Amino acid sequence: MATPELGYADVNRLVLKTLTPPGRRYWLGVACLAAVVGAGLTAWMYQVRVGLGVTGLRQPVMWAFYITNFVFWVGIAHSGTLISAILFLFRTRWRTSVYRAAETMTVFAVMTAGLFPLIHLGRSWFFYWLLPYPNERGLQPDFRSPLVWDAFAVGTYFTVSWTFLLMGLIPDVAAARDQAIGWRRRFYTVMSLGWRGTDEQWRHFSMAYLLLAGLATPLVISVHSVVSWDFAMAQVPGWHSTIFAPYFVAGAIFSGCAMVLTLLIPMRRMLGLEEALTPWHFDNLAKVILGMSLVVSYAYISEAFMAWYSASPFEMETFHQRYWGPYGWLYWVMVACNCVIPLLLFSPRIRRHLGALFVISIFVNIGMWVERFVIIAGSLATSTMPSQWGVYKPSPVELTITAAGFAWFLMWFILFSRFLPIVSMTEVKEGIRWQRQAHHAGEEGAP
Amino acid sequence: MSDAARVTALFVAEEACAGAITALRDAGFRVARAFTPFASERVAEALGVRRSPVRWWVLLGGLTGCAGGFALTIGLSTLYPHRTAGMPIVSIPPFVIIAFELTILCGALSGVLGFLVHGRFGRDAPAPGYRVEFTDDRFGVVVDCGTAEVVRVDEVLRAAGATEVSHEAA
Repeated sequence: MATPELGYADVNRLVLKTLTPPGRRYWLGVACLAAVVGAGLTAWMYQVRVGLGVTGLRQPVMWAFYITNFVFWVGIAHSGTLISAILFLFRTRWRTSVYRAAETMTVFAVMTAGLFPLIHLGRSWFFYWLLPYPNERGLQPDFRSPLVWDAFAVGTYFTVSWTFLLMGLIPDVAAARDQAIGWRRRFYTVMSLGWRGTDEQWRHFSMAYLLLAGLATPLVISVHSVVSWDFAMAQVPGWHSTIFAPYFVAGAIFSGCAMVLTLLIPMRRMLGLEEALTPWHFDNLAKVILGMSLVVSYAYISEAFMAWYSASPFEMETFHQRYWGPYGWLYWVMVACNCVIPLLLFSPRIRRHLGALFVISIFVNIGMWVERFVIIAGSLATSTMPSQWGVYKPSPVELTITAAGFAWFLMWFILFSRFLPIVSMTEVKEGIRWQRQAHHAGEEGAP
Repeated sequence: MSDAARVTALFVAEEACAGAITALRDAGFRVARAFTPFASERVAEALGVRRSPVRWWVLLGGLTGCAGGFALTIGLSTLYPHRTAGMPIVSIPPFVIIAFELTILCGALSGVLGFLVHGRFGRDAPAPGYRVEFTDDRFGVVVDCGTAEVVRVDEVLRAAGATEVSHEAA
């Protein structure tokens, strides 16, 4: 059972308990993350002042760490929408306890992802040149370029994800408002927009939420497809492939679900949410990860097959270099993390062992970050002309900014988890109602 | 003194709340509103509420976004022609991507706007009869009736399983 003995009031008690003022250890953790973010900001300012020469970007590898981070974080975002929107449309019951955390992760992951193209631009302050606006130079963006598609897709995803999260929060924030005092009460009052839970409000809320989920579903698939076309539209061996869109989407869901595990397993203990987040929820998440691991493994095999089948010497050499070239060891790390280690999840015992799941999720995160790097930098390093081959090495500036990206994401997530409900009270209550009905009807409910 | 009264009842169970609404409607009373701690299809069915007009907002927003996306891409490409990679100036397949994203964006934002407009949000004035228990674990029914009918409404509500019934002048 998901939440076997919980009553409706218990759900509020459990979740609102997480919104009590945090202690010193919490603020110390936030301060440490803020310090790493500060270091990243300093590194970025240094890069702005001196120029992109402070990075390891050299011909032929002009896309590397920053773009890897961008694709990785966009991918992380996707599982949140999968859990909150796609599984909502399928009325999947296990999502109720985990979806808010996943959706929150989506928003902050997109926020993190969006920073990296700006950092990669060098002259970040000209980012708006990607957008169409009236200007005296008579220039407009080329709408046939995947980079412009990207700006529209990621911008839309960012806006819709925020909207979806904030709208879903309204009934829960109203519950927090009714129990809070002081500035928190004022904050929740503003955020809940006067929600009272009347039948009229629920009627419009349910319709809007359903339709937003319906819109977010094709959106999430389109966004990572568009991100994959940043590569697939270029005639670079190793990139120019029609499999990229589904391959990237599957990889995104795979890495995102792993990140949900990485965040939820420690958070469950820290916030005392053991009753709301049971092994049953983690078991189901692990099944999604296992399924996506198999799809991603299939994509790796398919890529290799197509390179061989194409009989193109450039494609074949690119893949030969991918396996045995300067980044070959990273490729095998990727295979171990993404294809081999997740096979452990065939074991039901491991799927319900939170310690094991946490370790596996870390491996998957590493594997998926490495996958992005291998595809992006690896393909550019050994492209068509051997005389133009070159090996990329990240500079300390790139390493610092990459670490700051992780800290930035974690900092916002941790801040959110103590100030806004990280588990949806209304949806968990709906889950309890469903279980009761299933029990009364004598049906088989959750395992 | 006003002849109108407002009766508010609290229920522990969703079924009891829905049953009370049905009983009240059968007895000829008008249920002003119901409060639920989560979206309840049973209560909605008992009230016989219509489908939300928010869907039309989404449709209108989506269509506007789609039209706007094509207008933007075709219009700007025609006004500022610049041929790249041998592709036509007006290349519909890549423009579909921009139009698609704007369809989703405008549909979503328009849907949220519709939700805020129809749900009458943005005010912190409590809905009459509201109790903080309704965001916790209680279901509520509010009936507007004449003072002479309060006793009868009270009876119907308690017979349906109300744990608490209170009334006030409306």
